[in-house]
Amino acid sequence: MIGPQTLVFLLIGASILLILVVVIRPSITASREGKIIAFLALFIVPVVAAGVGASEHMERSEQTQFCLSCHIMEPYGRSLYVDDKSYIPAAHFQNHRIPVDKACYTCHTDYAMFGTIHAKMEGLHHVYVYWFGTPMNPIRLYQPYNNRECLHCHSGARSFEESPTHTAMMGDLKASKISCATSGCHDTFHNVDQLDHVKFWKPIE
Amino acid sequence: MLRKLRLSGILVILGLIVEALSLFWNNAFSFMSFVVISGSLFASGILLFLYSLVSSQTSAFDN
Repeated sequence: MIGPQTLVFLLIGASILLILVVVIRPSITASREGKIIAFLALFIVPVVAAGVGASEHMERSEQTQFCLSCHIMEPYGRSLYVDDKSYIPAAHFQNHRIPVDKACYTCHTDYAMFGTIHAKMEGLHHVYVYWFGTPMNPIRLYQPYNNRECLHCHSGARSFEESPTHTAMMGDLKASKISCATSGCHDTFHNVDQLDHVKFWKPIE
Repeated sequence: MLRKLRLSGILVILGLIVEALSLFWNNAFSFMSFVVISGSLFASGILLFLYSLVSSQTSAFDN
């Protein structure tokens, strides 16, 4: 099975070969067949190659490695290795409660209609600000963290549903009237300003 | 028209090369080089090709 990256490289190679034919012998476009080749070479195949390439880049942009490639995100990456289970992102990351290779994207995507598109647009905005603007310091969420993102996985899970604390306020949790993150129950997140004072977990190689 | 075809071909090839190079890394810089550099080269190459088609069509009508 051909992977998406191989497919992009094959398309790029085929496209370059076709274009070279047109560039070296542009006179072939005098014939009807030559015009078709030129249209394929200079429009159809490059557009498909660019589309598949864009899709591959968008897929890769979901990866933890991509998010942490910006210098400003480095402490947030370190916070995933804090050896303290009260740190919610670290506990989720280290125990594989979220996909390790898509850690940032999993928790920072809206699980609502068009949530993926919304996340991609915000990601593009982040990249733009990082390269051409001044990122806010410290980084803040655009909106308070929505319970919906937690409940996307935890809702229906036995440990969550059977917890007496959760049961007592289930309606309010699901309606986001009580925040999981800021109501005092699970309020330790990346806390990057405290990273100099915590112990770190080292994964076994 | 032939000159425009050549130029558009070269622009699209450059765009494809930048796209291929950008896929060797997974970071914000490679993403931006794909979007900005490769995208601009693609867009200008393809638009020039389409313009060459339209202008050759127009000159054929004129003749």
